[in-house]
Amino acid sequence: MAKYLLVRLLYVLPSLLGVLVICFFLTRLSGDPTYLFMPIDATDAALAAFRAKHGLDRSLPEQFFLFVGNLAQGDFGQSLRFGTPALELVFERLPATMELALATLLIAVLTGIPLGVISAYRRGRPIDVAIRYVAALGQSIPTFYWGIVSIIVLALWLRAFPTGGREGLTSLVLPATTLATTMMALIIRVTRSSMLNVIEQDYIRTARAKGQSEFLVITRHALGNSIIPVITVVALQFGVLLGGVVVTETVFSWPGVGRLAIQAIYARDFPVVQAVVLFFAVVFVFVNLLADLLYSVVDPRVRLK
Amino acid sequence: MTLTRRTLHSIALLGALALGTAALPAWSQNSPSDLVIAQAFDPTSLWPNFNTASDEINAGALITEPLFWTDAATNTLQPVLALGYELVDPTTLLIKLREGVKFSNGEPFNADAVVASLTNFMNKDIAPAYGRYAGVFSGVEKVDDSTIKLTTAFAYPALELALGKVFIVPPAYWAEVGADGFGRAPIGTGPFVLGEWRRDDRIVMTRNADYWGEAPAGIERVIIRPVPDDIARAAGVEAGEFDIATNIPIANAAAIEAAGKTIIEVPSYRIFSLELSNLEKHPSPLHDKRVRQAVNYAIDKQGIIDGLFQSRAKPLHGQLLRDNQLGFNPDLQDYPYDPEKAKALLAEAGYPDGVEIEFRFPSGRYVQDQEVATAIAGMLEAVGIRPKLIQLEAGEFLRQLVNQELAPIGYVGLGPADDPDLQMSQYHSTWRYSYVNHPEIDRLVEAGASEMDRDKRDVIYRELSALMHEEASVAFLFQNVDLYATAPDVKGFLPRGDQLWTIYGVSVAN
Repeated sequence: MAKYLLVRLLYVLPSLLGVLVICFFLTRLSGDPTYLFMPIDATDAALAAFRAKHGLDRSLPEQFFLFVGNLAQGDFGQSLRFGTPALELVFERLPATMELALATLLIAVLTGIPLGVISAYRRGRPIDVAIRYVAALGQSIPTFYWGIVSIIVLALWLRAFPTGGREGLTSLVLPATTLATTMMALIIRVTRSSMLNVIEQDYIRTARAKGQSEFLVITRHALGNSIIPVITVVALQFGVLLGGVVVTETVFSWPGVGRLAIQAIYARDFPVVQAVVLFFAVVFVFVNLLADLLYSVVDPRVRLK
Repeated sequence: MTLTRRTLHSIALLGALALGTAALPAWSQNSPSDLVIAQAFDPTSLWPNFNTASDEINAGALITEPLFWTDAATNTLQPVLALGYELVDPTTLLIKLREGVKFSNGEPFNADAVVASLTNFMNKDIAPAYGRYAGVFSGVEKVDDSTIKLTTAFAYPALELALGKVFIVPPAYWAEVGADGFGRAPIGTGPFVLGEWRRDDRIVMTRNADYWGEAPAGIERVIIRPVPDDIARAAGVEAGEFDIATNIPIANAAAIEAAGKTIIEVPSYRIFSLELSNLEKHPSPLHDKRVRQAVNYAIDKQGIIDGLFQSRAKPLHGQLLRDNQLGFNPDLQDYPYDPEKAKALLAEAGYPDGVEIEFRFPSGRYVQDQEVATAIAGMLEAVGIRPKLIQLEAGEFLRQLVNQELAPIGYVGLGPADDPDLQMSQYHSTWRYSYVNHPEIDRLVEAGASEMDRDKRDVIYRELSALMHEEASVAFLFQNVDLYATAPDVKGFLPRGDQLWTIYGVSVAN
């Protein structure tokens, strides 16, 4: 197990390095950020001073080696906008994003799995049709649209929740449910199809035959055996969730990493973009590693080597 | 799902529910003495001289105060920490300072603080964004504890503009924390002190109990909420969560008014035009005055104002200066919308079959920029000026604009500070992003920039406006109007056309 983990972690390093290199040069392709930071009537001396201060007057390879050198010492560079270390800005906003992501995951799993089970169990019945409609809607309507609609209906018309901000649990409801819709829809679909496979298996018939209650048959025998594909999908879709964070945090003025990312991209705040991208990459990699570990927990036949 | 009677009933029920709740109370029960202001961005720094973004200056100016401030209502320079200034000779002025004022950390406000702040202001490494104004000043020295002497590099008629930009910081504290540290935890003489700053979420400022001036009535705390999404910001003020919201989309204004809030319309300093380059490096039919005039005749300005801005924009009167500005020429009229005349001018210029010209415009830089550009493109096409549309991302747009690459035709909205020199010098042939090359225009711009007599300046700019009109140096489009929403109990909130506002005179009736 420990050896397995170590090998997996070693595999991760080249991917992260690749992410960094691509990110570094892609952001630079977008052009010189000086014009976005300085007023349009800034003097030439001021523009030159800005470039010199942030090393933008150096050649691209020079900038890159400087960046890698600093990175080796754990330094992501200073934000062009804030003048503070880029990584610090990410960590400052991390709790808000973690809170949102966990709430989203919780909502998506706690609604998606039961709905998927019911849908499979009542295959072809009206309730199955209804759930499948919900799933189709959830997957096809973009997150920002859900966000705006829920602000207008639930916050503005019904005054059930605040329109945005981060203060208490109530302000978490709208962004989390908005962000959860896509993932919930996906979980419904995967759970449903996986369940449909499993409930036709012989061991389900056997479980029923030995007189076990229908509830236990479904929850223990059927669900337990159909959960692995769901875990895989949740892990793989975590990247989509992180992408959704960028949109949702902006719409609901949620003070998280996603909003920092979008601001940094628009402002061409290169060090911050790099820090955020690397951070997201690390999270993605570890969530997938976690999923692999979970396999062995839910299915004892899976051995990690 | 088929549409049955039952589903129709549920939709109707939901609708009724929605209508019936229009009178619900606001969600967040802010204390009545909290003034909650929603703006688009969280400041990067609360030092107002850090950069020129209005969201930053407005927030920072609640804590740190300037020497002078140009008041939106009267459009004149008002003393804040200064008592006034005296022009000893065209390049020397004495500034008298308020006495008995203290910074909130106990440091005294005096000539030393002002000299130190001005020295920062004039240092391009510390305040690079203000180089344009700082370049006017050449030196500063203390005369006595409450007087400083400021010298300028040349006699400059728009001196007051520069004076209104300088914010005063406590020198001992500044020496300790530096510009970045000050931006995170500012100390000033202002009516509020920084309480809590949760990045991207809220800045809470509390009343400065020892404020030297008249504190804004009814306000114990100011809470700045950065809300990046326009629709969310408009919804929040409509729902009563914010007392003030900036940059309201035109489409939301009516609903906000219907909810009992006030919409404040502020004519912006931002003037929209098409750059029509006649620079040597941009060969095109636009070098012919008649083609430039044809562009002006081809565009239905009022149609754009009414159709795309629901009349919440203003026509320009055929010139770049606003109707309340020094140098505005009342004899000029907008080029009328006259497609036939445009065609005739094109033919006269030797293009009876029309011309093909590149037309560059930004996407996401200005309100409805794509829509305006598309509308203009259609109008140009109709008279035979076939635009080749090049849409630019905001950052690339700025780069091209500043490097004289936004040519031959470029859609721009320039919002210089409120003085005809800052507006007009943008069209001097040596200006970094000028697309106009005309010796007489250069001469008049220079004359306006050095004439200290107000009436003579007025005459110079009138003449300049008439010349630019006749030359059709640009296509004159429209003036933006900024929309703000306020709760009914907020009084005295009046931003300027550059989206700057101060808390002076604002009150909340509790």
